[in-house]
Amino acid sequence: MNDISIINSLFEEEQDLQIASGLKAGFPSPAEEYLQDSLDFNRDMIKHPESTFYGRVCGDSMIEAGINDGDIAVIDKSREPHNGSIVVAFINKEFTIKYLDLTHKADGYIELRPANQMYKPIRIDEGDDFEVWGVVVYTIKQWN
Amino acid sequence: MTYFAVVDCDNCYVSCERVFRPDLKDKPVVVLSNNDGCLVARSNEAKKMGIKAGTPYFKLAQQFPGQDIAVFSSNYELYGDLTGRVMTILGQESPEYFRYSIDEAFVILKGMETVDLKAWGENLYKTIRQWVGIPVSIGIAPTKTLAKMASHFAKHHAGYRHCCMIDTDEKRVKALKLFPIDEVWGIGRRFTAKLKGLGIYTAYDFASRSPEWINATFNKVVVTRTWKELNGVDSVPNEEAAKKKSICVSRSFPGMISDPGLLKTYVSNYAARCSEKLRRQNTVASVVGVFLNTNFFRDDLDQYSNFGEVTLLTPSNSSIVIVKKALECLDKIYKPGYLYKKAGVIVISIQGSDSIQTNLLDFDPERYEKMKNLDKIVDRLNKVEGSETVIIGTQQFPRKAGSEKATQFADAIKREFKSPNYTTRWSDIIKLR
Repeated sequence: MNDISIINSLFEEEQDLQIASGLKAGFPSPAEEYLQDSLDFNRDMIKHPESTFYGRVCGDSMIEAGINDGDIAVIDKSREPHNGSIVVAFINKEFTIKYLDLTHKADGYIELRPANQMYKPIRIDEGDDFEVWGVVVYTIKQWN
Repeated sequence: MTYFAVVDCDNCYVSCERVFRPDLKDKPVVVLSNNDGCLVARSNEAKKMGIKAGTPYFKLAQQFPGQDIAVFSSNYELYGDLTGRVMTILGQESPEYFRYSIDEAFVILKGMETVDLKAWGENLYKTIRQWVGIPVSIGIAPTKTLAKMASHFAKHHAGYRHCCMIDTDEKRVKALKLFPIDEVWGIGRRFTAKLKGLGIYTAYDFASRSPEWINATFNKVVVTRTWKELNGVDSVPNEEAAKKKSICVSRSFPGMISDPGLLKTYVSNYAARCSEKLRRQNTVASVVGVFLNTNFFRDDLDQYSNFGEVTLLTPSNSSIVIVKKALECLDKIYKPGYLYKKAGVIVISIQGSDSIQTNLLDFDPERYEKMKNLDKIVDRLNKVEGSETVIIGTQQFPRKAGSEKATQFADAIKREFKSPNYTTRWSDIIKLR
């Protein structure tokens, strides 16, 4: 019986928070009326789970924006992209993460700007096969 | 008056694949059934080329040599996730809805009498299109049958901007006249032949007959109901349309099988899947059936197919019970000497698990509770530790020579062209250059 492995069960989906409305014997807990749910990243940061997707950053084209190879980008397709938004775009049969530059929209073209001096901006003219797939709302980096 | 809406994902599986492959936007795309058997979904471009539904995959290259057609194995993990997102949005945007199938839902538009429903539908299309990336067609009408018809028009005529509403008698009659009778919701294929024999070709031909003639000719509640619905009278109860009446898990085998032991393994796995699905929707079934057939495409081989079913004294969703009953069915229909290509398990007569009619002779409350707890723990382990962590003995595939572990059911399926699981596995998320 040496091999015991601990299995992390999903108990939280079954359990109700019963401490708040439980037994009333003795003094009521002064903390009871302040009872709040713990912070929850998924609940609080992901506004629209239905429109949220994830992507893995490959390469160093956004390194000066603090986005590195291996980071996870949290992409929300429900957001409208604006000038200066970090977006995921689809061009030349691949997804790319860049700044969206709409400065020259009136002149008939827009640009995808990298955050790395080694790379050139990608110019997109009207009629080019291109789409902004979603807006990057967070990047997640693992340090340890 | 309360209106109903039908929301239907366009070429659902193809659209799901295209979310992560925008380069396939205007290209012919097809999706294959399990084990890459035949075509189950086609893009509009593929349909235009003349590619027929159900074409066996091996015939595709023969019929369309040298054509650039994108082919995918079915990736139900992906389709389930994306259509689930569509349903969540529906839940937020509508007073009440129920899912009718993987790619389709009914919305009951009650309390929306003052809302411009056509604008509501067009807006819903835009939201789903942008948020999930899937195009849908929306039909709105006073009955579910007419709403289904309207969604067809929305799908095939760009002028409707993805949402067609039948809100006047004039529009209803016009739609009925344009609509073939065999595409009407609730009219079965076998029934169509009879109708055509009677000179009924369009929905209008049918709906404009007198109720007396309908009753005298067919004398069937469901037919009368469809007739009423086409005439604008809501007659299909919501509960009935919402309930899944049967669950079927069936697959073609990767090759052909004659070994009864291996057949049992497959049938056990199909049955276990059925019981998992029952548990997920908190239902139980009271009939378990199994079908088995040889390869119909091989004229040179002896052909055999059969179906067997057993009724449970107490309805159940327990893996152990469903698998055991399915194996009993298999025993009844299995004949040695044939090469089998496909089997399936179907559970019928489904009801909610909270109000089970128990049979006194069969029902042992203590054992029932134990089984329920066992299934709960097994489901949890399989969810947390990965599917097929705990299985019933008969589900175990034989170990391949030289392999340490036995083959798993998920790996025993042929999926040569499967796309990554972009939304359900971290290893598969899109790469950003």
